[in-house]
Amino acid sequence: MRQLQSLLFILGFFFSGQTTASDYHEQLLLRPLHPSLLLASFNFQSNTTWASFEQQNFRYFPRSLGQILQHANTRELHLRFSLGRWDAESWGARPWGGAREGGTGVELWAWVEAETDEEADGRWLTLTNALSGLFCASLNFIDSTRTTRPVMSFQPSGGHNDSTLENLHLLHGTLPREVVCTENLTPFLKLLPCKGKAGISSLLDGHKLFDASWQSMSIDVRPICAEGETECQLQITQTIDMVLDLQRSKRPRDNPIPRPVANEELKCDTSKPYNSHDTCFPLDTAAQEEGWSLSQIFGHSLKGSCPLATDGADPVCINVPHARHVFTSAGAHEHKDPNGYLRCFELSPDGEFDLTLPDQDITEKAPLEQPLLYAERSFIGYGQESGGVQAILTNPSPTESVDFVYMESLPWFMKLYLHTLKAKINGKDKPVIQEMYYRPALDRKRGTQLEVRILIPANSTVVLTYDFEKAILRYTEYPPDANRGFDIAPAVITIGNVSIRTTSLLLPLPTPDFSMPYNVIILTSTVMALSFGFVFNLLVRRFVAVDEADQWDLRAVRLKIAAAGKRILGRFGSGKGKVENIKKVQ
Amino acid sequence: MAPSLPNFSAARMRSYVFRLPLFTRAMILVIVLLWIASYMVDVKQWGALIPKEIGIRGDDTVYRTNTFPLVHAGFFHMFMNLLALTPLLERFEAEYGTLTTLALFFGPLSTIPALLYTFIERGLLGMNTAVLGARYERFCGNIKGMDADKEDSIWVFTLIAMEAVKTYKSNPYFMLGTTQIPTWITPFVMVLFVSFLIPNTSFLGHVCGLLFGYGWGLGYLKFLAPPDWALRWIEGKLNLLGRLPHYVSVDQKTYGRYGVLPTTNPTLAPAGDGIALGYMASDVLLRRNPLLLKLPPYLSFLCVVIGVAWLLLLPLDDYSRKTYISENALLPGQVHTYFAGSDQNVFRGYKHEINALEEKSNIEVNDKLEEFFKASGLKVARQSYEYKSAGETYKGENIYAILHAPRGDATEAIVLVGAWRNIEGKLNRSGVALVLTLARYFKRWSLWSKDIIFLVTADSKAGPQAWVDAYHDTHQTPAIASLPLKSGALQGAVVIDYPFDHRFESIHIVYDGINGQLPNLDLLNTVVSIASGQMGIGVSLQQMWHHTDNYKDRLKTMLRGMMNQGLGHASGPHSSFIPYHVDAITLQPFGEGWQDEMAMGRVIESTFRSLNNLLEHLHQSFFFYLLMQANRFVSIGTYLPSAMLVAINFTIMAIFLWVKSGAVEEDTTKTASTIESGEKKQLVLVQERDAKALVPEEVLTVRERELFLPLAVVAGSQFLGVLPLYTFNHLPQSMLPSTFILFTLLAPLLPLLLSSTLTTYFSPTSQQHTLIKTFSLLLLGLFLSSLATLNFSLAFLIGLLSSPLTYITPLPHRPIIKGLLAVIMGLVAPTTVVLAGTWYWGLELGEVLKEAAFGWDVWGMNTQVVVWCVWWPAWVVGGILLFGRPREEEEEVEEVKS
Repeated sequence: MRQLQSLLFILGFFFSGQTTASDYHEQLLLRPLHPSLLLASFNFQSNTTWASFEQQNFRYFPRSLGQILQHANTRELHLRFSLGRWDAESWGARPWGGAREGGTGVELWAWVEAETDEEADGRWLTLTNALSGLFCASLNFIDSTRTTRPVMSFQPSGGHNDSTLENLHLLHGTLPREVVCTENLTPFLKLLPCKGKAGISSLLDGHKLFDASWQSMSIDVRPICAEGETECQLQITQTIDMVLDLQRSKRPRDNPIPRPVANEELKCDTSKPYNSHDTCFPLDTAAQEEGWSLSQIFGHSLKGSCPLATDGADPVCINVPHARHVFTSAGAHEHKDPNGYLRCFELSPDGEFDLTLPDQDITEKAPLEQPLLYAERSFIGYGQESGGVQAILTNPSPTESVDFVYMESLPWFMKLYLHTLKAKINGKDKPVIQEMYYRPALDRKRGTQLEVRILIPANSTVVLTYDFEKAILRYTEYPPDANRGFDIAPAVITIGNVSIRTTSLLLPLPTPDFSMPYNVIILTSTVMALSFGFVFNLLVRRFVAVDEADQWDLRAVRLKIAAAGKRILGRFGSGKGKVENIKKVQ
Repeated sequence: MAPSLPNFSAARMRSYVFRLPLFTRAMILVIVLLWIASYMVDVKQWGALIPKEIGIRGDDTVYRTNTFPLVHAGFFHMFMNLLALTPLLERFEAEYGTLTTLALFFGPLSTIPALLYTFIERGLLGMNTAVLGARYERFCGNIKGMDADKEDSIWVFTLIAMEAVKTYKSNPYFMLGTTQIPTWITPFVMVLFVSFLIPNTSFLGHVCGLLFGYGWGLGYLKFLAPPDWALRWIEGKLNLLGRLPHYVSVDQKTYGRYGVLPTTNPTLAPAGDGIALGYMASDVLLRRNPLLLKLPPYLSFLCVVIGVAWLLLLPLDDYSRKTYISENALLPGQVHTYFAGSDQNVFRGYKHEINALEEKSNIEVNDKLEEFFKASGLKVARQSYEYKSAGETYKGENIYAILHAPRGDATEAIVLVGAWRNIEGKLNRSGVALVLTLARYFKRWSLWSKDIIFLVTADSKAGPQAWVDAYHDTHQTPAIASLPLKSGALQGAVVIDYPFDHRFESIHIVYDGINGQLPNLDLLNTVVSIASGQMGIGVSLQQMWHHTDNYKDRLKTMLRGMMNQGLGHASGPHSSFIPYHVDAITLQPFGEGWQDEMAMGRVIESTFRSLNNLLEHLHQSFFFYLLMQANRFVSIGTYLPSAMLVAINFTIMAIFLWVKSGAVEEDTTKTASTIESGEKKQLVLVQERDAKALVPEEVLTVRERELFLPLAVVAGSQFLGVLPLYTFNHLPQSMLPSTFILFTLLAPLLPLLLSSTLTTYFSPTSQQHTLIKTFSLLLLGLFLSSLATLNFSLAFLIGLLSSPLTYITPLPHRPIIKGLLAVIMGLVAPTTVVLAGTWYWGLELGEVLKEAAFGWDVWGMNTQVVVWCVWWPAWVVGGILLFGRPREEEEEVEEVKS
């Protein structure tokens, strides 16, 4: 809970300056995680008034994105790029309560203003295609089969006018197979006012970001209408969260291979009787806090504060016990949160900033916030014909029950049998499903959408299972790496403002032997050639009886020679013959 | 006729074109003109054959049935059609004369197929697909209710069919390999090809054209042609021959300008009172051919001999192939391995810990292992299992740790297994230590694209099975616990079996799965190429510790592999993975050499790096193969015929006996006397098309087969197989050997008993005996040939051991031969073979039976089913036959008389 307090403490900074017409904040929160990991949460937020947005008067709000939103009549936008998986058991609750993360790959949902569903679809198409170009991602592949219209899981977060609220259409699409990489980071950074040149964004580097054990990039655009005020604002929040492995990040870039350490550097348990120069039982270093510094982890130090961030909030914060030694470079001022584990640093506008935490034996650790729900989803069964999905949802809280919405959007070729949907609580069949929304799939047109509202009592586990049948695709519908399988988008679990996403799944479908068409082509060509030859032969060849055919035996040769001889002889006597002929004619 | 390639000369072509007869020229002209016209007016709409527009009452659209072949949609198709049509039309015209052709082509030849098409399409199928002489084009928007107009070349196909019938008359078959294919089929094959390969062709239209062509060619439709006298009269009156160039007169017509081969006149005069056997290939007569009736026993024997010889040939260089990597993504041995240096110190540390745990209980061991895995930063989970088989309980607890792929999403995983005790029950001391060290080492790398699961099972037989079953959620709860922690789809598994302390010389790869299933050959090739290519470690298979690459060693390796495959048991912890389509192998270091544990670790590291490269599930290479050396194999296409031949031997005999059982019994003396006395046999006129023959009546009569008893006997003995199957899979272990011995001793008595019961109560005739054998062999052949595709080795071994059954017949009057055969039968009895095998390999009978029962209960092994429900019933039926005493036919007759 204290964790949440500290988060609110930070958020307090942001929302205090909300009323100003146009402003920009940025903050980096560092939180060491067990074992030897570091969660770095970058947050960039800027506001613009609705009026200046409408007039295309962009200051901190990125013009490229703003114009797309205007063109596609999008009132609220949420875009996520994620990679890896959050290990809730070791790392606790998700940053931002899971609100700033998406499922593996790319996830996009938006509220589009349109009169009809068809118009909304058209604008959604415009939006996805435009964003695809802007973020170098395959967002244009979010077609009708990947688009859903969630009913219970997502609510518009901002303050929309009641008039627009009626015409808002929520559309949601995922690309679980999209691999997020540097080409997505570069356009992301370009949207920032300081563009990765100064401030905390100068730490962002593709090599480090995409070597993280888990990372999520998010863009949220939402309108904010404070009550009693007529002037609305548009807020864009960009966040990057990543979990870095300290040991891995500290490896120098020119030598990233984890070679075995030298024998002397090996940390051995010397209490073991067999410990010797060539035998070593590795020491469990969990108790020891590993030393690190910003420049080690991110490859270089922070290049001053961003001059555009003018709200006075401290740009760098770290969440460690006060007993932990933290050293900073000169020019930075430390602010300690008196009752928590948080300390923030004010940077000098120019001059580099570095943060160093030395090796330290310390038992006190900043407490982890317990997640509201543990969710794990996996396939059950085997074979090419059918299968099942099992989602294990555990409520760890000893007192509080959890009410949540579980949403699945499945591709059409995974044909869900709704009657097999069962929820068992602690191994017993009890009605835990409160409400259900189901939209069946249409082949090649749209996927299945399933939203289930479940109530888990305190300290219980719900196992949700359902069976499905695998469709047989047309051979052109397989991707080039057909035998890999098909990625199934993560399930989205919404508990009020907190959201959790499960891991994605890899669905193996019955795959034809793609070398077979090749064989078939060869075979068919051969048969074609044979039959063509046959018909051609029929058409062109002369068929004569055996006795009429030219025979090449001795007699035939003799006759031929005789005939040739006659011809030659005839030539000599030809003059005579002609004359005779002429005479006859006359 | 000496075959000669048609030499295509421009001069010949030119003369051919100049000699084209009148009607052909006119047609070409019309088609071309219409094509040109199609650019100006919508000819297609005018000329296309649209079923709906053809009125029954013959309104003005009936002209379409005549015009449609002339209209084409595009140049290309018009050209192609001309090319196809011209020579055919020219031949037709040359044969029948211009006038006839004209009359036919604007009369029945277009109209009848068109009407046929219209009738079928509209009346039966209810569609409305327009037909042109031409290719599909998008103008259908204009014509309401039209799906698409399709290419149709009805004329071409009609003419081709006529030609084909003509060819068929002179040249009825062409040979493809050994099969005779009637020539008249060709046009139909062409229609099929055209309809498959060229889009938007009207299959139905073509078939209608063909039907007409066949009808014409066979002479059924000749009545449609205008009468000769009328044509002659017209010709004479108009002096067409004089006025028109290139006109082919009715009289001028030849039997084809090219001449026709003298067609054989198939009508055979009835050959007096002799037996007329013309060239007629009637199967009825073939069936009674005395020569053919003698053949099958030799043929089936030949099949067995060739089958065995085939197998023996496989190890030769000409028949086996060198292995190769099919999946390019694997890139075996292309990475540097870094598992060395101080990691060896860690390994030694872990090994000390493992040695200290040797005497500890399973739970204590797992507590320690969990601690080690957790210290390496992995997620750990445990699974307990309990199996009951043959009165024994197999209990244990598996422990496994998952290394999450640093940037992965739990979609795929590879497994590294180190069983705590290997298949021989020895402590896998270096193996488990290696798993722990590698887990710690792999954690440092960030390049893993798949999760890595480190699995330490309590034993090598039950533990892996419990784990894999639970991973795929097919386990029996609560005896086998569910897995608390899971990852994605398993892509491969490697097992380390390294139970000793010292250095090793080479690696022994075990690859047989349960029920003879095998891992993808690519996995094996990867390890072989890494071990021998990258690390310089030798590789051996099937316990061939010294392989000298000669014929004998190769054959030995192959036969050992077949034996393992045939038994279908688990040969290591990897075996349990294979039925789930997870490719898996076990690596066992052996011998005394200079390779240390780290070399073994590097082999595994490199293998995992290769598996990590995989984008798709292993699918490229073979799943069915026989290995005869680490880098030599034969694939299914090469080896399968040998088992198939052995299986076919039974089918051949079954068919032969069926035919024989239907034959009327001939008394040899009687026949001789009949011939001598000149008594006429009853002759029957057999007609096949135009051919007629007189054959003795008895050849055609099929004796009535009494099927009930034979079917009941065969079905009964098949069901009898369930008895030993149930007994040996459910008895407690202590009773197994004694029961088996008892069963072995009693089993030979069973056929004797059954046979005497049959003789006493039903007194089956020799025909019924033959039928019993027929059905038994038919079933055996059926089962074995299907089994050969699943478990080649088992099918081959059982086929070979039961091949004497092909030759067992009731021998009531020859006690010596009968006794000899009985001994042979006793030797090839399933029970005797099991005992002999046990003795030969120096195994305990009890252990073998226990393992079999364990395989049935835990692994889902189905070798027993094949032995008890396929092999054993066939053997029992063989015994029944051997001791059978067929009722004498004469006795029966006498009985009836008296």
